[in-house]
Amino acid sequence: MEEKNNPISPHLQIYKWQISSLLSITHRIVGVINILAITIICFWSLSILLGAENYEVINNFFKSFFGKFLVIGLCWTFSFHILNELRHLFWDLGYGFDLKISKITGVLALVGSFVLTILFYLIGKNIF
Amino acid sequence: MHASTKKWLITKISSFILIPLMIWFIINFVSIYENDYQIVALFFNKQLTKILFSIFIILAFFFSALTISEIFEDYIKDQKIKNVANKLLNIFAIIMPLITVTGIYSLS
Repeated sequence: MEEKNNPISPHLQIYKWQISSLLSITHRIVGVINILAITIICFWSLSILLGAENYEVINNFFKSFFGKFLVIGLCWTFSFHILNELRHLFWDLGYGFDLKISKITGVLALVGSFVLTILFYLIGKNIF
Repeated sequence: MHASTKKWLITKISSFILIPLMIWFIINFVSIYENDYQIVALFFNKQLTKILFSIFIILAFFFSALTISEIFEDYIKDQKIKNVANKLLNIFAIIMPLITVTGIYSLS
């Protein structure tokens, strides 16, 4: 049997979109974005070795609108990944497999990620 | 234990440890990212920061290597390309934390 042109998983173009598939693919995309962001964070931490003058460029970038936007975006990608990973860990322990509960936890992870983003930012900025 | 079971278990353990470290890092990152050089350097010079940040970076790259290899498994058909992609991923996941941790510990 010729298998060469068979579609490869997770068959995004075949199945009807639902909360579980939306969160599944978002989890993967966000995971890749996070490791790219962590790579940039590594370079950021290493930039300290270059001294105060060179750090000024990075500092100006972070103080810009785009810099702040990226940091808030990072808060969301971290929040989403944490909540959805917790959802996966509960599944691994055998909880939350029921279709209705799975949909509810999916919505909670998605909505919760925005709430957690705000919380991370406010706690980080010492507003609480 | 089967190799796949072992990989799954290691992925789960690393993700469990990674969650509090992600929370610790993102809150601290938000608190310092707009600050001047001195404050950022002071943060990375603390012994606790060096330890937690090193564990966070090592685990994050380790976890990403394990999970991104699953993405390759799902999306890359060609076995040769998949092997090359996995090797590059593993090399990157070793080199990046190594450079970062060495850099952080060389701060005075």
